[in-house]
Amino acid sequence: MFIQILNGIVYGGLLYLLAVGLVLIFGLREVVNFAHGALFMLGAYIGFAVSAAGYWWGGLVVSMVAMAIVGCALDATVFRTLRKQDHIVTVLVTFGLMLILETVVTAIWGKAYLRYPVPPLLAGTVDIFGEPFPVYRLFVIAVAVAIALSLTAWLRFTRIGLYVRAASTDPRITSIQGINVDSLSLIVVGLGTALAGLSGVVAGPLLSLSPTMGNYILIDSFIVVVIGGLGSFAGAFIAALLIGQIHNFGAVYLPWAATILPFLLMVGILIWRPTGFAGSRT
Amino acid sequence: MSNSVGYLKATAGAIVMAGFMAGTAHAADPLKIGVPTDLSGTYATLGEEVMRAVRFAVEEANAQGGVAGHKVEFKSYDTEAKPDLARRQSEKLVSEGYTILTGLIASGEGLAIAPQMERWGSIYVSTINKADELTGTQCVPRVFRVNTQSAMDAATVKPWLAQRSEKKWAVVAADIAWGRGSGKLFNEAVKALGKETVADLYTPANINDFAPYIEQVKKSGAEGVWVVLAGRDAVNFAQQAKQFGLTEKVTVAGVSFTTDGTVKTLGDAAKGIFGIINYSSTLDTPQNKAFTKDWVAKYKTPPTNFEGETYVGMQVIFQAVKAAKSVKADDVAKALSGGEFDTVFGKLKIRAEDHQLLKPNYFGVVEPVDGVLRPVVKTTVSAADVAPAVTCKMAK
Repeated sequence: MFIQILNGIVYGGLLYLLAVGLVLIFGLREVVNFAHGALFMLGAYIGFAVSAAGYWWGGLVVSMVAMAIVGCALDATVFRTLRKQDHIVTVLVTFGLMLILETVVTAIWGKAYLRYPVPPLLAGTVDIFGEPFPVYRLFVIAVAVAIALSLTAWLRFTRIGLYVRAASTDPRITSIQGINVDSLSLIVVGLGTALAGLSGVVAGPLLSLSPTMGNYILIDSFIVVVIGGLGSFAGAFIAALLIGQIHNFGAVYLPWAATILPFLLMVGILIWRPTGFAGSRT
Repeated sequence: MSNSVGYLKATAGAIVMAGFMAGTAHAADPLKIGVPTDLSGTYATLGEEVMRAVRFAVEEANAQGGVAGHKVEFKSYDTEAKPDLARRQSEKLVSEGYTILTGLIASGEGLAIAPQMERWGSIYVSTINKADELTGTQCVPRVFRVNTQSAMDAATVKPWLAQRSEKKWAVVAADIAWGRGSGKLFNEAVKALGKETVADLYTPANINDFAPYIEQVKKSGAEGVWVVLAGRDAVNFAQQAKQFGLTEKVTVAGVSFTTDGTVKTLGDAAKGIFGIINYSSTLDTPQNKAFTKDWVAKYKTPPTNFEGETYVGMQVIFQAVKAAKSVKADDVAKALSGGEFDTVFGKLKIRAEDHQLLKPNYFGVVEPVDGVLRPVVKTTVSAADVAPAVTCKMAK
């Protein structure tokens, strides 16, 4: 039972890392980023290329830095120019981006599944209540918690964090107050994309790498964002943990309904609170 | 929206084609083979293997001046291993004149298009679909299967299971037609041998985390686990089971689980896993040796399980075209039913009663060969010994 809860937290943690990037980008740019799954995938492949040379932790760092640069470029060239466009336009453009990234990765690495190694430091299992549990899965939880804590601290206690929260609430009024929302969003989109890279690398040893790996997890991440309340950081954290548990307990106790449970929960939450869990924003 | 546009196009195409088909066929008509397969879904790497084998067979045939003078053409559309999409894409291929279809991966896809064959005027040669229904309860005159069906796999695993000491077994299978069918047959074999199934788990499509299923297998006290997963599912399950220490603790065996393709990805995580082998490049027949030699010369690596199976399908289609002296689906169908074909397994017959190719089957284990891990055949079961009972009642 405890192991099952732990497994739920692992998957929830992974979803959180992905969802929080979506939340960051949506908060500032109001972009529903369909390319996020592809960015997650690209991050995983970049990390893979470095770790295949024997530098697992190097792969983690290189992937995050590379993805941050990709994110900044995306913001400056795509999201900024689309600011005045309708939402549907940005959705279509990010969908196109997803297809482009998948094609580029297929051209470089091919379609065959690739196995991401587990770093030697985190290989093996530890006994939890007499049951062996992979150390690597505990590491996934640790990363998710660390990111959640540092992100919260950054948003609460720094000036930039304050600006980000302000701009997430109302970008227009924030810029009237003399804050450069464009340069702010460069940081935030860069950060959100770097987190997609991080989650790609962290997910690597759990999931096989393939150019379409992002699609399988993006849907779950979107559910997390919607349940948590679009643009809410704490909401995403709670929703991710909830979806993680639902995935696990659904698979054990309601196997015939396991795949629709997250969707049912989303529908239920939207009826009860149309803005999601923490959706106090209008 | 795009779907309805596609449908419109397909319908328009069908009308054009109907007019075209009314004309007489010339001797120089090309042999047009449609290959609807999974190019981007869970079984995308299998789809890649299918395409490679089709391309190989077509280039080989065309280099020899075509099949009985007919130049071979093929075209492929992506089905994402989804039955509804498979139906639309197949219809599109037929409407473009590719009336001989092959290459679908998930059994549900084959079952979705089978009832349409009559109306479309096409035929389907299954090379990967394993669900017994396709040539069993849901058989139709225009569907043929040259690959191993689940009942044949079950007949292959049963003798192995009988001599194993493990009493308690778990099943982890994909929650699709193939997984359900194979899981059920394994359960029956376990019961017939006086053993017990302690966990019977079916995993939904496109899941990422197999941990809840691995945990249930561990909890159940199973001494062995039968895995019916392929492609992405197989890789993810094997990798995660290894991390949980399950692979060392219990005996792992499966079907389409540790194939040449997945073993290459998995490396050490696949070592020691038992499994059904439907085709292996190491089979000792002159036809297979010639095929493997040409394949290695072209691709620098031996053909995989699914590449071999797909190639068999192409061999059978080509020989049926030669026998029929026609590329028309109707004539080819007549030549296929009850026909005898020269395949990489040797001379084999397609049974007229249910259109199943009676082929031998193999069982083996993943072992290092010259330092490289690969599935190695340990037992061969003859075509007569795995021949499934005829359950098909075909309207002649």
